[in-house]
Amino acid sequence: MEKLLIDSAAKHVNVNKNKKGFKISPLFDSLWEFMIFLLAAMGALLIIMIFLFILLKSWKIFSASGLQIITTTGFEEQIRQAYNAPADLPVWKFGMLSLIVGTITTTLGALIVAVPAGVGTAVIICEMSSGWLKRFLESSTRLLAAIPSVIYGLVGLMLVVPFISGNLLTVEMQMKYLEYFQLTGNSMLAGIIILSFMIVPMVIALSVDAINAVPKEYREASLALGITKWRTITLVVIPAAKSGILAGVILAAGRGIGEAIALSMVSGASAVLPSLSHGFVFLFTPVLPLASAIVNKSQAISIPSIEAALFACGVILLVMCSFLSICTKIIESVVRRRQGLE
Amino acid sequence: MNKIRDSLQQSFAWLSALITIVACFSIIVFLFLKGYKAISFEFLTTNPNPTFQAQEAGGILSPMAGTFLITIIGILIALPWAIATAIYLSEYAKKNLITSYLKIAIDVLSGVPTIVIAIFGVALFTMPAFGFLSSMIEGIEGANKAFGKSFFVCSMGMAVMVLPYVIKTCEEAVKAVPVSYREASLALGASKRSTITKVVLPSAKRGIITAVILGMGRIIGDTAIVWLLLGGSIRMTGPQPWWHFANWLDTLKNTGSTLTTYIFFNSPAGEGNKAELAFGASIVLIIIIILLNTVADFIGSRGAVKEE
Repeated sequence: MEKLLIDSAAKHVNVNKNKKGFKISPLFDSLWEFMIFLLAAMGALLIIMIFLFILLKSWKIFSASGLQIITTTGFEEQIRQAYNAPADLPVWKFGMLSLIVGTITTTLGALIVAVPAGVGTAVIICEMSSGWLKRFLESSTRLLAAIPSVIYGLVGLMLVVPFISGNLLTVEMQMKYLEYFQLTGNSMLAGIIILSFMIVPMVIALSVDAINAVPKEYREASLALGITKWRTITLVVIPAAKSGILAGVILAAGRGIGEAIALSMVSGASAVLPSLSHGFVFLFTPVLPLASAIVNKSQAISIPSIEAALFACGVILLVMCSFLSICTKIIESVVRRRQGLE
Repeated sequence: MNKIRDSLQQSFAWLSALITIVACFSIIVFLFLKGYKAISFEFLTTNPNPTFQAQEAGGILSPMAGTFLITIIGILIALPWAIATAIYLSEYAKKNLITSYLKIAIDVLSGVPTIVIAIFGVALFTMPAFGFLSSMIEGIEGANKAFGKSFFVCSMGMAVMVLPYVIKTCEEAVKAVPVSYREASLALGASKRSTITKVVLPSAKRGIITAVILGMGRIIGDTAIVWLLLGGSIRMTGPQPWWHFANWLDTLKNTGSTLTTYIFFNSPAGEGNKAELAFGASIVLIIIIILLNTVADFIGSRGAVKEE
């Protein structure tokens, strides 16, 4: 009501055209508003457009492979067949199980490393440090977040991969697994190490936000009961910040799933299905996550069926990431509602 | 017993903080140790050459120019779009289904991996209707397709990629402007448009500048979009000399490289396989990013002081 009054008052004055004030032209105003609506609508339609375009481009793959696309393996071989297939007999059947498993294992592995470390660092930043140490930690976290993925990939390739192949792999192991895959340093483990450094700043940043949002009274009440500072943190603060931290973890998982360049550089670039029956060599399996597959096979994108296959990878990625984003959104709204009630 | 557990947990937290710091610095120190030899005046001022001889490989002038071009054009496309959306969300949007859909759409968009945006760009800009942004494929019979790789196309992909981040930062900045400012302006007889353009946006200037810097940082660091929408060549492929004023449109319609693809190309994973040059370019990239971060911090801290 108040707003309406102000609006109508404004209009009234405008008609009288105050000399000193703004030049008013209703036509230009409505044109301007229309532009704003148009741009906002374009932003809203963008995600639908992305989804439609990618789905249309890969439709043949999905209709030819059906559910087999997520239940069978053999991506590498199928790409080779598609590459050599005659133009009138293209290969539309692809099985991406090994890519999906590669994506999930690298991301889960990185989360297992990054979440405890990230939450620990966030606790130190929020509760245990102050002054220069706090600022120093915050700025190095921010810098770690700002380092481009290609540099992580380069460091991984020049530092982590040689370390793995030099210290952890032996010739006997390489001989033993030669029939399954080549054991070079480029492996799932290298991918996990690099990915965990890439997502740890994200976990830290969102955990810091969540911990800072915990009301001061919680801490004071706990401390007043004679509980030590550290117990207060582990028994009161972190449980209260749990949902916010979970939202951060999900966001970080999305980042890990979508990471393409760094993983394509260090994780081995061959679509092998990692198998737990290999024991700890499981970690040294070369894998090809979905996002890296797109980068890796993009040289052959001029062949229609390979192009469609890469778009199918994109669809699977998009579905996974959208699902995670919506989960984060739901958790956030739950948190907000709970805070509103309290 | 509990005491032991407490101190174990505490030392774990300190250890992880320590690892974060050590990782951050060891990455930077590692890059400098490996790459400082590559950096020279010549490295920064010559164009790269696709060759196997390390002596003739040239420098990173055109990749730096490419990064600059992509960043500027990308942010020029993204910023008006983002400001308009932010204004819509904070000034016009009513509480209804459409608004909540828009908010969810932006959130989902911010979670879309850059590689997916890159292949979306491939799907969109290889359509013949968008041939004017890159070039048409000629010489293949029956192929009615655009090439889909150029500085223009890549900048648009980047704009889509940074859009949600810039929208969020701009929206926060616009929402932080006190309502009393708006009321004062409206009471003076200004229209809603004048209020927004002359009062709200100038007051939100600092936040918008921060948004621009954050967006630039993301564009500079991205590789996947450049790799698919600008291509794997490391030279400017337009008519030479590419920096000549008469060729600007052709340069932008042709392909080239940025610092990130230069690093990828010259790393052992790419085709160039000259790791030292990749490290040299990484140092330049890191320095640019640290500078941008410092500027953003500086603006943020000045704002904080003023508000106090």
